Amino acid sequence: MKNWKALSAVVLSAAMVLAPVTALAEEGPYRVCFVARASADTFAAWLTSEMQKAAEEYDDIELTCVSGEADDAEMAKQLENCITKQYDYVIVQSNNNAAQAPYVKAIADAGIPVVTTNPTTHQADLDGETGDPEVDNAVMEGTGTVDADPVAQAAVGAQRAVEEVPENANVVVFRGPSGNYHAEKRREAWDTYFFDVRDDVTILYEDYANWNNDEAMALMETWVQGGTHIDAIISMNDNMAAGAIEAVRNNTDYIAEDGTPSFLAYGVDGTAQGCLLIKEGLLTATALQDAGEIAALNMSYAEKVLHGEMDYTEVNDYVDAPEINADNVDEFIQIYVANGEISESDL
Amino acid sequence: MKSSKASTYLQRFSIYIVLIAMFVACSLLSPYFLSANNLMNVARQLCVGILLAYAEMILIVSGFLDLSIGSVLALAGVLSVSTFKSTHSMLLALVVAFAVGVACNMINAVFVAQFDVPAFIATLGMQQVARGIALYYTGGANILQLGKYVKLGQGMVGKVPVPVIIVLCITVVVWYLFNHTRYGRNLYAIGGNRKAAEASGIDTRKNIFISYAIVGVLAGLAGAIFMARNNSGIPNGAVGYEMTGLTAAIVGGTSFSGGVGTVMGTVAGAFIIGFLENIMNLIGVNSYIQSIIEGAIIVLAVAFDIRSKNRKTTKQIMAVKDEKK
Amino acid sequence: MSEIKLRVEGIEKSFPGVKALSNISFTVRKGTVHALCGENGAGKSTLMKVLTGLYKADAGRIYIDEQPVEIRNPIQAREYGISMIAQELNYVSELSVEENLFMGRLPVNRFGKVDWKKVRREAIQFLEEEHLNYRPEQKLKTLTVSDIQMLEIIKAVTNNAQIVLMDEPTSSISEREVGLLFEKIRELKEKGVSIVYISHKMDEVFRIADDITVIRDGAVVSSDRAENLDIDTVIAHMVGRKMENVYPKEPVPIQDTVFEVKDFAAKGIFDNISFYARKGEIVGFAGLVGAGRTEVMRAIYGLDGKDTGKIFINGEEVSIKNPSDAIDKGLIMLSEDRKEYGLIPVRSVTENASLASLKNYFYGGRSHKRKEKKDVAEIFQKMNVKTPTLDTLISSLSGGNAQKVLLARWMLCNPQVMILDEPTRGIDVGAKFEIYKLMTDMVKEGKTIVMVSSELPELIGMCDRIYVMCQGLITGCLDKEEVTQERIMMLATGLLGKSQQKGA
Repeated sequence: MKNWKALSAVVLSAAMVLAPVTALAEEGPYRVCFVARASADTFAAWLTSEMQKAAEEYDDIELTCVSGEADDAEMAKQLENCITKQYDYVIVQSNNNAAQAPYVKAIADAGIPVVTTNPTTHQADLDGETGDPEVDNAVMEGTGTVDADPVAQAAVGAQRAVEEVPENANVVVFRGPSGNYHAEKRREAWDTYFFDVRDDVTILYEDYANWNNDEAMALMETWVQGGTHIDAIISMNDNMAAGAIEAVRNNTDYIAEDGTPSFLAYGVDGTAQGCLLIKEGLLTATALQDAGEIAALNMSYAEKVLHGEMDYTEVNDYVDAPEINADNVDEFIQIYVANGEISESDL
Repeated sequence: MKSSKASTYLQRFSIYIVLIAMFVACSLLSPYFLSANNLMNVARQLCVGILLAYAEMILIVSGFLDLSIGSVLALAGVLSVSTFKSTHSMLLALVVAFAVGVACNMINAVFVAQFDVPAFIATLGMQQVARGIALYYTGGANILQLGKYVKLGQGMVGKVPVPVIIVLCITVVVWYLFNHTRYGRNLYAIGGNRKAAEASGIDTRKNIFISYAIVGVLAGLAGAIFMARNNSGIPNGAVGYEMTGLTAAIVGGTSFSGGVGTVMGTVAGAFIIGFLENIMNLIGVNSYIQSIIEGAIIVLAVAFDIRSKNRKTTKQIMAVKDEKK
Repeated sequence: MSEIKLRVEGIEKSFPGVKALSNISFTVRKGTVHALCGENGAGKSTLMKVLTGLYKADAGRIYIDEQPVEIRNPIQAREYGISMIAQELNYVSELSVEENLFMGRLPVNRFGKVDWKKVRREAIQFLEEEHLNYRPEQKLKTLTVSDIQMLEIIKAVTNNAQIVLMDEPTSSISEREVGLLFEKIRELKEKGVSIVYISHKMDEVFRIADDITVIRDGAVVSSDRAENLDIDTVIAHMVGRKMENVYPKEPVPIQDTVFEVKDFAAKGIFDNISFYARKGEIVGFAGLVGAGRTEVMRAIYGLDGKDTGKIFINGEEVSIKNPSDAIDKGLIMLSEDRKEYGLIPVRSVTENASLASLKNYFYGGRSHKRKEKKDVAEIFQKMNVKTPTLDTLISSLSGGNAQKVLLARWMLCNPQVMILDEPTRGIDVGAKFEIYKLMTDMVKEGKTIVMVSSELPELIGMCDRIYVMCQGLITGCLDKEEVTQERIMMLATGLLGKSQQKGA
């Protein structure tokens, strides 16, 4: 008898604990999932944490963050999971637009609102290029997007460079992973806004450093041995620019004893590291891709869509790409000091 | 008779011949290759890779391997960097790097030695665990503003980079271990025939633990140098570096079936790969093409090495018969 | 007169710097056993490789049924009906008996799928016909070496081999199994199959051979009918000198008990094992394969576990948990399986020799390699190890020389008690003689030897006392004076042992 009593007590208390949970699942907060391209990628990690912060602002949004670990197979798995778990709203940061496009479409087909962010997934990612820019540059049917415009971002540095880079200059170019939308678009912007305008400039070397610090460093270390002075480092992100700059930090041909560089360097992203290098005078300029802003925008659209105020396919917005340079870098550094990435005492 | 002696030498030093051929070819391909700056540059770039190659060689010679070394390097590196940032003590930062490297590898060793888990599996698990901890600890963001820590990777003593000096010292130590200690002999015996080594009174488990401890120290040191060179604590750095280490060791004549391998061979292997990457970057070969050429040349170099060694063995068998006459 | 099946004429084969075979000629008659004798390194293996197409001869001809043939590769050799039973068996231990039987010729249906039903059916029929007591799905690793060898032989014959080359087929099987093998060989002869039989064991050669050809240093020394020859002549031809005595045993004064084992037991493997050995004594362990002799020795040496048992050295109880303990206490063991527990094939003869005594050459934080080389060179000279240099890989030495290097490994430890498990397995007559001589020298120096062997003549020739084991028990101990092959066999098969146990 005693045992039976004990057992029933356990069952009862278990039921009491579980009851509110099941009730919540039925009518509680909206379940939103953010699928990041990787957790080991500086920007993706930053975006993930900003997403979490932004979601806290909304009581009725419960955000789950997962990561594709920069692997298309893992991305596919995570995207399929989103359908299985019946989320109310899915935000996707693709690793490889074309590879993820069918899975993103599957989510949309399953009737779940899906928004692609940094980068946008286009119709051309699904169907292939048609050659008609209007069709190719359209956001994929049945999805929305919140993004930073890669062309606008890269144009910031490219337009400055037109004025700054000396005549007949020799430059090197560091590219992001091949097939990555932002990597390719940023590179195209450099063609449009810089190389097409300045045909006196020679590209000494150009190679893929896959957004990575150490790969860019190894390339730059060797390229400077080539004998011709490199007048400008043109990098598709700040990470690679930083690696390239580290490669010449102790090279007096590039940085004089007093710390003045004999080269220009352009990045994109406006990371903490980029800001520190601008402060040091080694990075000329970068454009901020503000993860905080992208995240905030994403969440505000999510709230509207979930409350039925707008249709998710209407979500189509781009954040600004403000320029960071020696004149305004301090205010951006303050942002990073505030979030702990830069410590004031070490400045 | 003289020519056959010469050919024996040729076979014995085949990997060095590949290295020299490579060197000559490189100097013809680019006028900048031979400059002192460039050679020093190659040496500096190879530092981290050579440390990992020693680690892998120690393990492969005794019949094991370590797939976790790239991740452990990153974990040891970021923890070391953040120790430096909070204490400003280089000594403490290095102690942390070594301690983390050794701790991870002691776990590897427990599974490999005590539970007989294949090293491939045990260290594959550690690869994920260590990387995960590194990312969790940093939240995926790079640690910046390293201050004096960068000296470890970027500093110079006279005209020689600090990491090159460190690696030279380590090379002497590892060479000594292999050639002048009982531990070195034990490794060759365990890798050559573990059962025979045990039957000859060698404590294989103890030696496995020592090996992984040494590998841990090398991984920690490599982590510290890696972060210092990049002037940031990069939790997602050094992905796939275990392959860099393995490749250098194997190209340098370390046999995957165990029991065979030399420190100098491994150095040669590392330089073959280093020269190859350097010359391709110097003459501006696209990195995708580089990957194709590198893969092909590595296989060819190893094939050449194996072929000449095989011939040597046949010769020795014949020599025994000869003497019997 | 039986017709000639295989004729080899003027075979020459050179390797860079060495002439391995010069002008080899002999004939094998149909339905006979033709023994090829010669020391290791005499060129028998090279000749076998020429016959099976692994090597191409520089000159000479091979005739089968008096038709000239050219054998370019092993597959072609098989087509000509030549089949080889190698000394070092190459088998995949994870495969099943039936898979092994049909390896390379698995029956397939028209879709290319293996017809496993047919395989099973034929395997069962085959095993029954050959009176083999295994299940077709049994893994090879569950069989003993002799079982596998028997399987190989039978497999070769079922492949319709007309000429079967057997290289040392009895090197790892017991006396009883040798009987079975010889019966099989006689059966084959009756079917008209010719057998080329390589062996060092002279008694076997004379039991089975119709013709004997002796090869020395790559040339034929003699080739004659067996009835025209005797053992001494053949051995003399092989070594190029007259052998005085096959077993160079010398009387050594036997002193106090040095080594004693009490009540060793491991459940299901051996039980109630107690024995002793005295200074200057060679104690033998006889028994059939599987009697548990090796298992007992491995447990004593600390390689395997045991349930109970004590070991005394010089009257003091010692604790041996692993080989390292044993070596420290002056007890060593030469393993029966040279390949698995002895050789480090990829390392030099020097490193192989010094392996168990490294603490003598690496101490005080540095190496003493000169001393190592000197000691190894000395012991090699004493033991007459033939090696081109001290840096030669051990894998390139002949079996006899490699075995001597392993013996040198243990001599360098300067042990008191040496357990030698099958010390002469698979090595040639000359090397055997040298090892016997070394054993005699060792006991003269005051060491104690425990020798496990499956060759009764060598046990009887070398030992002062012989323990006999059967099914994990010691069934008897025979003194030198009372020992005969028959008595050992009685004890080994349990015929005498049972009655003795009852009496005890």
